[in-house]
Amino acid sequence: MQTGTIKIKTQLKARWMGMVLTAGCFFLVLLWFSNARAGTDNASFSTWFVDMSQYAVGAHASLKCEECHGSMTNKGPDMGIETKKNHPDTTAVDFLKTQTKRSFDYQTCQKCHKIAYARFAKGEHAKAALKEKTTTQLSETGYAPTCGDCHSAHYSKSHLSRVQTGKMMTQTCGTCHMDQKQSFLANYHGKAAVNLEYDKAAFCSDCHGAHTMLSLKDKDVVLNACRRCHSDATPEFANIIIHDGTNNFDLKSDTKKSSLKWVHLMRALSLFFVIAVLVFFYMHTGLLMLRKLHEKLRRHK
Amino acid sequence: METRLNSPQTFQRFHILHRILHIVIIFNFTFLAISGFLLHFSGFGWTRFLVSLMGGAGAAGWLHRFCAVFLYFGILIHVLWLIYYKMVLKQNFRGPDSILPGKKDVSDLFQNLRYVFNKGTPPLFDRFSYLQKLDYWGELLGMQSMGITGLILCFPEFFAGIIPGFFINIAGYFHFYEAVLAVMYIGVVHMSDTHLAPDIFPMEKAIFTGKIEKQRFMEDHPGEWKRQQMIND
Repeated sequence: MQTGTIKIKTQLKARWMGMVLTAGCFFLVLLWFSNARAGTDNASFSTWFVDMSQYAVGAHASLKCEECHGSMTNKGPDMGIETKKNHPDTTAVDFLKTQTKRSFDYQTCQKCHKIAYARFAKGEHAKAALKEKTTTQLSETGYAPTCGDCHSAHYSKSHLSRVQTGKMMTQTCGTCHMDQKQSFLANYHGKAAVNLEYDKAAFCSDCHGAHTMLSLKDKDVVLNACRRCHSDATPEFANIIIHDGTNNFDLKSDTKKSSLKWVHLMRALSLFFVIAVLVFFYMHTGLLMLRKLHEKLRRHK
Repeated sequence: METRLNSPQTFQRFHILHRILHIVIIFNFTFLAISGFLLHFSGFGWTRFLVSLMGGAGAAGWLHRFCAVFLYFGILIHVLWLIYYKMVLKQNFRGPDSILPGKKDVSDLFQNLRYVFNKGTPPLFDRFSYLQKLDYWGELLGMQSMGITGLILCFPEFFAGIIPGFFINIAGYFHFYEAVLAVMYIGVVHMSDTHLAPDIFPMEKAIFTGKIEKQRFMEDHPGEWKRQQMIND
């Protein structure tokens, strides 16, 4: 009797397990399908279309389409600057398939954002765009970005807090500058700013400049950037390494290379020291505890 | 009546000042470790919640600095006491009661290792065993290097005028790895050596009450016990 009930119980248990497993598998398959569907949906959703519900709550909600895109007809009234534009040919093969970010003329933005555009035009990204145009070759980080690569004209929201903007910025910059994002988040600036949402800590543009996006290789420029927060910074202060990652090591300047070698050597040494000390004393204490326990149990017998 | 008769005879082991300083160290060390590691491991979501309990990243930073200064004051008071001990009380730092490391500590370590592998008897410790000495010196010297690297990290503008800029990066790594070492050493080795040892478990109260039981005195510090008996005789 006893064994019989146990048998039934185990059989029941197995059946339960089977059901749970099947349900789990079914759920996973469903999840995979839904993900795959979502993926295809996103791909088919061309960037040529605008989600007006999102646009209506964005920063540019008060603007009419024509104010940026023009009247889309050569016969339309002249609206001041070059807003007369042809509508794309609906019968063309690549209709709605080209990348909007590469074809839109972002000079339109300077109509309202004069300072930002002037800074951008002076900055590192505009230089990269020029280089891209003259050499017709992409840099190692991809296309030289224009306004639309970092900002969403249709969906960006206004009146975000410093931390909200900064966290988005870290993501945005990080899509091309992955190593820099990684090393920034490993640095105490990034940890305090992004992870702990500390609004007094520096985000990307606090050092690299809003829209100018300086690469900060010239030490005088770096010092200026440091002095925005660290007002007493000396020239040597600019040699403190913020992005201390070792990915794409060859792209870094020679002084940074040699400093980085020392930093990472010291890091490896201290890690080795910590591990060596801990391994020795953990083994020592562990064995000693076992020995003492053994002695105590023997005494009690 | 019986319990009173059976209540173990105790001996004074720690001065009240040392007991207070030990508690100062416990509190500050814990808060330093928590606030520091919350910044370093802030990539995990729950750290932000804990930091917000401390009043945000800025407040946690000030807590870290406050505890560091508080802890260092404890060390300064200890050093002042050492001077008092030497100058006013005219005591000697050397001798078998000393916390200074000596030859006996090395031989004790090897004897202990032999004892672990059942090749001998446990070493007869004096007032301080070598692990206790290591705890003491690790704390005293470790706080100096933590203090130095911490000061470098706290005043990078000033220190960049004295040392190369990337030394501040190195100081950051040293500060972190030494913190890891300190926490993992104190948390495991110090804790198990003092509290987890089968004869002492669950808790060693001597550093808090200042008193040690006769049994423990005889077993853990036989060298000192023997000398005290000789003096009494």
